[in-house]
Amino acid sequence: MHDPLQAAAAAAAYETKVLPSGLTVLVRPMPGYRGAHAVYATKFGSVNQDFTLDGEVVRLPAGVAHFLEHKMFESEEGDAFARYAKTGANANAYTSFDKTCYIFTATDKIDESLDILLSMVGEPWFTEETIAKEQGIIGQEIRMYEDSPEWRMLFELCGCLYHAHPIRQDIAGTVESIAEITPKMLYDCCAAWYQPANMVLAVAGGITMEQVLAACGRAGLMQARPAHAAAPLWPNEPASVACPYKELQMEVAKPCIGIGFKEAAVSTNDLKARHVCDILTELVCGEMTPLYRALYDQGLVNPEFGAESLMLDGCFCILFTGESEQPETVRRMLLDEIARLRREGVDEELFTLCKNELYGDMICDLENIEAAAGSMADAQLSGYTLAEELAALAGIRKEDVDAALQTMLREEHSAAVLIRPLEDANE
Amino acid sequence: MQVQTLAPGVRIIALPAEKFNRCRITIQFQFPADRSRATARALLPLVLARGYAGCPDMTQLSRRLAKLYGAGLSSEIGSNGANHLLMVRLTGIRDAFALAGEPLSDEYAALAFGVAFDPYLIDGAFDPEALAIEKGNLTRRLEAEINDKRLYCARQAARKYFGDAPAGISRDGYLEEVPSVTPQQLTEAYREILRTAAIDVFVTGMDPAPIARRLEQLLPGLGRAPAALLAPAAMPRQPLARYTERLELVQAKLCMMFTAAKPAAREEVAVYRLAMSLYGGSVTSRLFLNVREKQSLCYYCGSGFSGSVGCMTVNSGIEPADAERAEAAILHELQELCEGPITPQELEDCRRGLISGIASVEDSLGGLENWYLIELLRGGAVQSPAEAIEALGRVTEAQVREALRSFSHSVSYLVTAKEEGGAQDA
Repeated sequence: MHDPLQAAAAAAAYETKVLPSGLTVLVRPMPGYRGAHAVYATKFGSVNQDFTLDGEVVRLPAGVAHFLEHKMFESEEGDAFARYAKTGANANAYTSFDKTCYIFTATDKIDESLDILLSMVGEPWFTEETIAKEQGIIGQEIRMYEDSPEWRMLFELCGCLYHAHPIRQDIAGTVESIAEITPKMLYDCCAAWYQPANMVLAVAGGITMEQVLAACGRAGLMQARPAHAAAPLWPNEPASVACPYKELQMEVAKPCIGIGFKEAAVSTNDLKARHVCDILTELVCGEMTPLYRALYDQGLVNPEFGAESLMLDGCFCILFTGESEQPETVRRMLLDEIARLRREGVDEELFTLCKNELYGDMICDLENIEAAAGSMADAQLSGYTLAEELAALAGIRKEDVDAALQTMLREEHSAAVLIRPLEDANE
Repeated sequence: MQVQTLAPGVRIIALPAEKFNRCRITIQFQFPADRSRATARALLPLVLARGYAGCPDMTQLSRRLAKLYGAGLSSEIGSNGANHLLMVRLTGIRDAFALAGEPLSDEYAALAFGVAFDPYLIDGAFDPEALAIEKGNLTRRLEAEINDKRLYCARQAARKYFGDAPAGISRDGYLEEVPSVTPQQLTEAYREILRTAAIDVFVTGMDPAPIARRLEQLLPGLGRAPAALLAPAAMPRQPLARYTERLELVQAKLCMMFTAAKPAAREEVAVYRLAMSLYGGSVTSRLFLNVREKQSLCYYCGSGFSGSVGCMTVNSGIEPADAERAEAAILHELQELCEGPITPQELEDCRRGLISGIASVEDSLGGLENWYLIELLRGGAVQSPAEAIEALGRVTEAQVREALRSFSHSVSYLVTAKEEGGAQDA
């Protein structure tokens, strides 16, 4: 007889090896898939601004991780895109708050594409001239995001919630902050965060562990190498919010409202906290809830109104965002609903449905080569496996969510941001 | 892919996809764009997605989807040249993953067909209360267009480019008409689609037989009288028209539209694919390498081509002060490809990248379905990804150059920063 749990466990399975260099390699062969997707990731993102490297303190301006991501595509031999063009691979990279990932998808010459990936990240090359050129391109990227109300809202909310944590700052930094970047800073970051022991290589699709290990061997990753002592330095962050309310104006059609809650930071591998947070936000204002329906029917928010959470080293917050012409009404209704749930406990049936949804989402995330490799890398960098994530979900009880509500989503730890259209501001 | 025609204008398209964790049903109605019905049609997907006769309440429908392990239901309106599309799509995990052994795929079919063919009606018309709420949502969505400056610029350019041509009829409806749409008009627009549209049901990773039976049972009640779809048509060549609109923004957006004066023929698809990759559709393209990387004139700068209307679009994000230089550089690169040398290396780099991309479409549920959906919309013989790769291999430099030479510049639309005391020019 078919066992769905076995099917789910098989979908979440992958092979793991830790190489003598310290690099963790994760491979999920997916029979029937033509291509392979590789993610070469370091646990170094925009929030990693201050750290010690071999006993010396290094302080970075905002935006270095993202800047470094751009620069990794250049080497003395030329541009990595030009090298990928010879294999046909589709390559890219991205930087988030807590990691930087270099990726490619290829259907042919996968071994050659792995060689390019491992060498471009393993052999950094920076000069004053190439840095100056990149400052122009990234300056334009920063300006593009300045016009995005969603992006502005995210950072304004983080800026209100946090006094000192680097999550306050834009992932790409500012035009001024990236102007301070020097080659030495970039080399220091490579020494600290791009050493193999701080990285993961995750590959999924038409690939085998043997192929990936062979590529690692060609890149010299099968040998032990001297390690640099690196440790992040986090600023002291009080529990209070930095600013409970902020308003700004932009060229938007409707006011945008953001309500953020600052929570006590937890370990990034606290799977119970992750699942409880996901379920909790769904139970407060997910599409199945009375609050969402009331907001929707009364036209108080746009249909996309919803929540997201950020769980990073030293930072855990939950953000509710959307558009509304009656932002204070929306904020009050949200706080009232949270208070009601805290008082009465969450609905048992809704709780079960939310768990069902999360299970389906996880199965879905393991389907594509891109999502599978990405999920494997994310889990490894956060300190857990996908099988552990599935198992942890099964163990979440309604009581866990009720208990969390007693301490989470407190009004006294909240902040609100309102982005008003320019016409309103002129009235 | 297997295509089964159940009646004139009604097909089931089965796409085997057992390797995926999910399966999908997409019910697609295709019909000629109609200015007088555009706003009512734009409201249809919003009202349909709220529920159906078997589950009228949107919150209950959300809970039913959650019970199906978070199955995704979407309803949207799309366009294919001068024809519009109404799509109802349901995606969920395969039966093998159902924790209690539930027959999920049967439920998926019942839900998707319910939403598409059996809406919740009161006295034979859509629920006025639901319509009123969704009119509010459509109004907000149309008003919010300006929030995304890149999309806003592209849409403004398209409005100028297509003018009153059928391909320019907005699939999203018209803001000023939203308040006046009545439940009766909406119902009439819906009934007309059921009666006249071409209906394609894509079944991906599921047994198509029970779905075909379900559809066959429905057909007699639809009063089918399929209408002809509009043939692909391109905009004629015209003198260049420039528009500038000034807003409070940091980065300017430039959208340039070009016409080939004829839609792409079936056999030209591979040629245009390679031409776009070479000009501005890839990281090995001239626009990316020269305009973005070498000249640092744009943060993004890319070209795309729509074969059904024979139109090439170049979108870029630029410094307001660099607008003229950027436009000149974009045109210069086109000129260089039309008249100057094209190296075998750059042509092969682009070809290789395209082949890799096409070879991977069958590695994702959405990619697989989308491939055949577009192939069928294009009309004529359907190409598999393998056949498309073969066709790409045969494209010559001369064909690429000829395709690029066919474009003439019709519209440039610039959305840029406000000047002191400046006024809108567009």
